Amino acid sequence: MNNGLDKIRIIEPDTLDGEFYFQSLIEQAQIKGLLSDAEIERLQYECLALLAKKAERYNSGFSSSLRVEKAQSMMASVLFTIGVHLKTCPAPDDAATVLKSETVDDLYQKGRERIDVLLTSAKTLHQNLLRNLAEIKNVFYRATVEGGIKGFFKLYNPDYSAQEIHITADYPTGLPVPKLAGIEFITAYLNRLYLENSFFLCFASEDIHHLMCGGFGEYEELLMNVFEPVLTSAIGCVLAGTDPRRLDISSGEMLLYRQFEGLSDREISELIQTAAQKLDRVFNLSPQLYGYIKSCLPSIADKVKAATDRKQLDKVFFKPDYPDERPELLYSFGEKMPDEQYRKVLEEIALCRFSQDKIAVIRESVHSLADMEDILLDAELTYEEVMSVLGSLGLPELAALSKRYQLQAEIDEFGLSEREQNMREYLKEHIAGMPQKQREAIEKMVKVIREE
Amino acid sequence: MEFSLIPFAFGAIQKQAVDEVIKCNEYTKRFGIILTPDQAVELVETRFLALSGSGRVEFGGGVIDKIIRAFCDSPYISKHNYTQTLHDLIEIFYYAKNETAELISDDDLIKFMNRAFDGVCQGSLDLLAGREIFRLANNLRFGLPADYVEDEILEEAEEDE
Repeated sequence: MNNGLDKIRIIEPDTLDGEFYFQSLIEQAQIKGLLSDAEIERLQYECLALLAKKAERYNSGFSSSLRVEKAQSMMASVLFTIGVHLKTCPAPDDAATVLKSETVDDLYQKGRERIDVLLTSAKTLHQNLLRNLAEIKNVFYRATVEGGIKGFFKLYNPDYSAQEIHITADYPTGLPVPKLAGIEFITAYLNRLYLENSFFLCFASEDIHHLMCGGFGEYEELLMNVFEPVLTSAIGCVLAGTDPRRLDISSGEMLLYRQFEGLSDREISELIQTAAQKLDRVFNLSPQLYGYIKSCLPSIADKVKAATDRKQLDKVFFKPDYPDERPELLYSFGEKMPDEQYRKVLEEIALCRFSQDKIAVIRESVHSLADMEDILLDAELTYEEVMSVLGSLGLPELAALSKRYQLQAEIDEFGLSEREQNMREYLKEHIAGMPQKQREAIEKMVKVIREE
Repeated sequence: MEFSLIPFAFGAIQKQAVDEVIKCNEYTKRFGIILTPDQAVELVETRFLALSGSGRVEFGGGVIDKIIRAFCDSPYISKHNYTQTLHDLIEIFYYAKNETAELISDDDLIKFMNRAFDGVCQGSLDLLAGREIFRLANNLRFGLPADYVEDEILEEAEEDE
């Protein structure tokens, strides 16, 4: 009869290591007196005997010895496999009892069978995921889900390296994978990817894309989790009173931001949880997906709390952006003059004594922005002369040069020549000295300009 | 919880290894060379040290008996240098396993060592460990046969003859 009392636990589950379960279980069992020294010695000896058998099979008569690293890796595989079976016991105390009564060979065999089951399930889950993969434009997402996981299945050797993951699993999930190894890690990782993908399928892929553009710009090549921003936006839509299916808080953003004013941390968490419950009703989420979303809410709540303090909720609940719908300004730097002619112009400039003569030669001979750029780099002009030349350029030319020299971004100038670095400085200085309206116009042009 | 490989490798199988070495006496006595139990123990210890030194581990009886059987009829081994030569050959063997990146089986390596020792090395362990093992490792790494010798070296050897 279950009278509601919990069974007394001798070994606390959170004292055990997810990755090195077997070893940590033996350690705790010894500390708590559940395993004697003699029993532990027997387990050690049997593990080593099993390792000897596996080493012999691995070498297949080719070699009687192997490198210590290989033997250690095989031992880690044996211990991991046994750990996989022991985790199926209802509680760590039961696992410790099993260690007393069963041989290592039997434990290993059962662990090996369990790994096969996990492997088959993981492959099936992966196939299902690939069949219904949401169109997320982030390269790390696709590369990991498609290529990365496939690579794992190809390389995974449960007989001799069951603990290995082999792939780097670059794409970070919303809820981090706990400390696990081998097929257990991949199973947990795949489950998260699958659930996140299920959530993505609730939305149009274009809406997700525009949301991510709004929050992160060129997110396609950023190593980042996509699920959390999407979930955050959906929650924001619920609170803003807009349709969460569209991931657009635009028409209700003021209402959204006002809701967090003056709230305590606990109230913010509760508000977010209530919004998540509403999402469940809107999308009719599976229990597993809803459970996963609930696990991710604390992280979102922390970000909202921090943003509320800094009055930067727009950095957490952002609006979509439509870069593909923006008008483009096609700009050509023009044709360059023949090399011979260019050399003559440079010689003529070098022969001039006075700055105004140099400027006159440039104005007379240079008719394309491409040549102008080359002259500014090659003609060894003084600071004043460069500024005078830049002053003669129109806003579109300055915007085009700005874009080419990436003035808007903090770039590593290591790969640039000294002259190119100087050019960036001169351009920055020149533009900084212009009236505000002209600076803003250049900034706007840079966003839409595209070199032909 | 430590699962150290080294104590097991030495303690648990030492007796088995010593027994296997002593058994070889039945074969080697026809060549006038045998090992005492103490000498067998020393050989097994050398094997253990050679394994540790080369970062390797062995779970079975090992290759000492194979080395003994291969080298006992060598013209460069007599009862005066038998034991010391075996010690050196064991060390060279495990060194060579690493140098050849496990690209050669134990049996083939022992055959190679035997042929080289009795042939081009004329009983010199230094030449075996230095020149021949280096050549073997090089050949294997580049996908050449173990016995491959570059033409110029062959020509030199022919001239010497």
